Amino acid sequence: MEAGKNQSLFKGKPIKILLAKPGIDGHDRGILVLAKAFRDAGMEVIYVGLLPTPEEVVDTAVNEDVDAIALSLLNGAHMTVFKKVADLMKSRGVNDIAVIGGGTIPEADKPKLEKMGISGNYGPGTPISTIIEHITSRAAEMRKLKAMEE
Amino acid sequence: MIPLRLDELIQGIIKGDRRSVSRAISIVENEQVSFNAKKIVKEIYQYTGRAHIVGITGPPGIGKSTMIGNLSAMLSDIGRKVSVVAIDASSPFTGGSLLGNRIRMQESLTRHGIFMRSLANRGLKGGLSRSIWDTVKILDASGSDIIIVETVGAGQADLDVVNLAETVLMVLGPGLGDEIQAIKAGIMEIGSLFVINKMDLPGAFIAQKDIEETLAMSPRGEWKPPVVGVNSLTREGYEDLIKEIDRHGKFVKKSSDLSFRKFRTELEITIDEELRSRFHQEIMGFLTDSEKIRSLMEKRTDPYSAAESLINSIA
Amino acid sequence: MEKKDSYWSERYKELKDQNHRQNTDFDAWAEGTLKPWNQKTGYQEREFTNSSNIPIKEIYSSKDIPEDTEKRLLGLPGKFPFTRGIYPNMYRGRLWTMRMFSGFGTPEDTNKRLKYLIKHGESGLSIAFDMPTLYGFDCDNPRSDGEIGKCGVNVSSLKDMEVIFNGIDLSKVSTSMTINAPAAILTAMYIAIGKKQGVPLDQLAGTVQADILKEYIAQKEWIYPPEAHLRLIRDMMVYCTENTPKWNYISISGYHIREAGSSAVQELAFTLADGFYYVEMGKKAGLDVDEFAPRLSFFFNSSINFFEEIAKLRAARRIWARVLMEKYGAKKDRTLLLRFHTQTSGYTLTWQQPLNNVIRTTIEALAAVLGGTQSLHTNSYDEAWALPSEEAVKIALRTQQIIAEETGVIDTADPLGGSYYVEWLTNRMEEEAFRYFDQIERMGGILEAVKAGYIQKEIAATSYRRQIRLEEGKEIMVGVNKHVEEGEQPLNILRISKKAQKNQLERLSEVKSRRDEVKVSQALEELEAAMREEDENTMPYILKAVEAYATLEEISNVGRKVFGSWKEPVIV
Repeated sequence: MEAGKNQSLFKGKPIKILLAKPGIDGHDRGILVLAKAFRDAGMEVIYVGLLPTPEEVVDTAVNEDVDAIALSLLNGAHMTVFKKVADLMKSRGVNDIAVIGGGTIPEADKPKLEKMGISGNYGPGTPISTIIEHITSRAAEMRKLKAMEE
Repeated sequence: MIPLRLDELIQGIIKGDRRSVSRAISIVENEQVSFNAKKIVKEIYQYTGRAHIVGITGPPGIGKSTMIGNLSAMLSDIGRKVSVVAIDASSPFTGGSLLGNRIRMQESLTRHGIFMRSLANRGLKGGLSRSIWDTVKILDASGSDIIIVETVGAGQADLDVVNLAETVLMVLGPGLGDEIQAIKAGIMEIGSLFVINKMDLPGAFIAQKDIEETLAMSPRGEWKPPVVGVNSLTREGYEDLIKEIDRHGKFVKKSSDLSFRKFRTELEITIDEELRSRFHQEIMGFLTDSEKIRSLMEKRTDPYSAAESLINSIA
Repeated sequence: MEKKDSYWSERYKELKDQNHRQNTDFDAWAEGTLKPWNQKTGYQEREFTNSSNIPIKEIYSSKDIPEDTEKRLLGLPGKFPFTRGIYPNMYRGRLWTMRMFSGFGTPEDTNKRLKYLIKHGESGLSIAFDMPTLYGFDCDNPRSDGEIGKCGVNVSSLKDMEVIFNGIDLSKVSTSMTINAPAAILTAMYIAIGKKQGVPLDQLAGTVQADILKEYIAQKEWIYPPEAHLRLIRDMMVYCTENTPKWNYISISGYHIREAGSSAVQELAFTLADGFYYVEMGKKAGLDVDEFAPRLSFFFNSSINFFEEIAKLRAARRIWARVLMEKYGAKKDRTLLLRFHTQTSGYTLTWQQPLNNVIRTTIEALAAVLGGTQSLHTNSYDEAWALPSEEAVKIALRTQQIIAEETGVIDTADPLGGSYYVEWLTNRMEEEAFRYFDQIERMGGILEAVKAGYIQKEIAATSYRRQIRLEEGKEIMVGVNKHVEEGEQPLNILRISKKAQKNQLERLSEVKSRRDEVKVSQALEELEAAMREEDENTMPYILKAVEAYATLEEISNVGRKVFGSWKEPVIV
């Protein structure tokens, strides 16, 4: 795992992440590469593949109790579809799962997505290590929120 | 909001609150059994024993996922509360895992509000057996009528499913040819029901006859495992399958012999795990002591003597 | 058990023997000249490989290719096995068609863009559709929200197509439509417009992609299970062979396979394997191979490894001609010609230092021309980020015009023919393709291999390997992992106005309120009955439904009801 300082948060329980392309978009080269890279970084990757609805994404994330959801779209529909995922999370009171975006996202959309709670928003060509670092730090935040009293 | 206090979480499970259930599973699926994990299981134990636990096993690519999607949707349509647990293998090299078996059932699960959880088989580090048993207990206590446990043919996990499920569906299909012959010997004792998938394809009927014949020849007890053919595209045969699952469920609940065996196995697994985890610190300390390893390399000792000295030092 | 067809494995073995003979001249030179030189200069030896993972030597000579190369493997342009080109005078006689992909936002926007391109000398129209259209959803489906007009034009009913082609005489243009799963529906719409304009059906010229196999392999835009789509394509093949002789009903596409992360050799092998499947399908439907195979055309990618791309295209022509003759019994020369469209690679473009993309595209376009393409789309430099702006499209078109009119590369056919390296590489690409054909056969054919996820896994593995090599700096992308400029801001992009969605929704609801509902439901019922009869041709029923203004989704839903939907196998 990249971030050594978060070791104890992930001890005995690797980061669990859901990967999805929730829009009408079949471009899965990037997300398949990420799925393998995350696995090789020791994460548990739930891949729900192409065309899940935002409901299916949130439903799965909650059932699987993941640390993060990684969404990818290259069809320009991120402002509508990512927002649907964020809205659903909010309406179900889910505040301890990080939502991370990626795809062809114009610079101008990034602050708007951040405001919805969707971070990262990486474009093609981003080094995988950068993405893994970001996921690790977001997952660490989530783990702190989830920590139960002993 | 998700409860952050253990007693609230436990109340949540019993009430069937989905997020409490999913969080509780995260707690019990830790590699090492924690205080919280034990507490959860202790508190909910009295609420378990109601659900019918159905294991589904069979070679990869035979259509188990689609079958579970169909089966759980149809059970849900007749008013049963269904939960699904799927066990997947990890990469032996990195410890990470890629769980992709939801793809073929996700749509149907969401539409029917069915809870499904994937458990990663985290390789040799242990903890899987106990995680599966505890996960099933949580789902049982949360009010599931039927819990379907799927495995992808990953060694230990297969064995666990056979041990903890009351009814085991062995899924086979056409075109396995020699493979069927090779595994037949081993699997015939395992299955309480045999399902032949892809009945629309040539060879399925032959496969069905083949299994029936083998079953007829093997010595059996009271229960004669039926062979059910299904077509997952048209859902043909599924009603029969559900009937047979129910029939076997009733048979098992009546048989105290089978129950006794199951509880004994459970106790055995728990003791194993408890011993391992209680002395985890000591074992890890021993294993990371390079001097100990070197003495093995240099043949100054042997593995048994080294292990004995560790255990003697603990006891 | 059916007896295994050994054609592929025998050809593979032959090629392996042909290409891996010892070159004693090289070995002596490597030992006596190269090695001392490397030692003296302190050169660190490392392996050079191309995208297909084929190791490249320091130099090639006549000993690396068979002695009868010219006679047996090359021939001359317009002569079997067509390695050097399909026409005797190649680009002197007919330049490639400069076909620029367009279509975005509303049908009105697309109509305007098509007219702009016609004015600037483009010789063929090419239309891209948005995601809902490609998946058979209307604009008013909740799933289409936010996706209307984003990656192409939205077509929900015949009305939209009428707007796209408003003022464009279909007897004067050839139109290529990038559409697969709903290809039969869009073809029917085009025919309907032709009929309205009074153009005779045998004058309608163009192409639909309709290559459904590569959808399961790479682009993942499907509706039904593979067998159902293949049946609808068969119906379209039969109908168009009889009624619209200038309509190319399948464009067998490697482009998407490559963009999905495959190597050049995987693109070559999987695309041709798809092609062979369609040939077998046509033969099974009772069509004469010399009648329908000439209507199959191909669509390849041209990526950045210059010689590998040229070798790939030359090998493709030779393989197709050989196999069609030897295995499928084609008798006419016309049937053996592999005609193809090429598009430069989108994968190699970067948003960093975007003007560098002009250079990349130029090199890739040059490779396509030297590889003998029949038509070409050059990507715009801003394509990595969004649909291209008008200025960027113009530069891309000018790139082709400069290659055609200033460089002299068109003066002679196959100018690289006879280069030891290019010939050796062409042979090796051919061999590796046959290795895959053999493997695919062993898996029970391409359809089974795709349904099992084997092809997809092969591609995903290649794509992952490349990513790791990029991260390790073993492969370079200028501006991305070398020669990086700090603090770069992504480009200004063309934004699709939100009006597109509103505009489409309004038109669709108007269409629905004005049409004759009885006619619509009658047409759809007849279509359903036809779909349920395996031997019935669905095409006339689809045309009837389209003309009654049944929508794209309504027509697609008939198939969803009859055939079910498709979920991909697990490939991660």
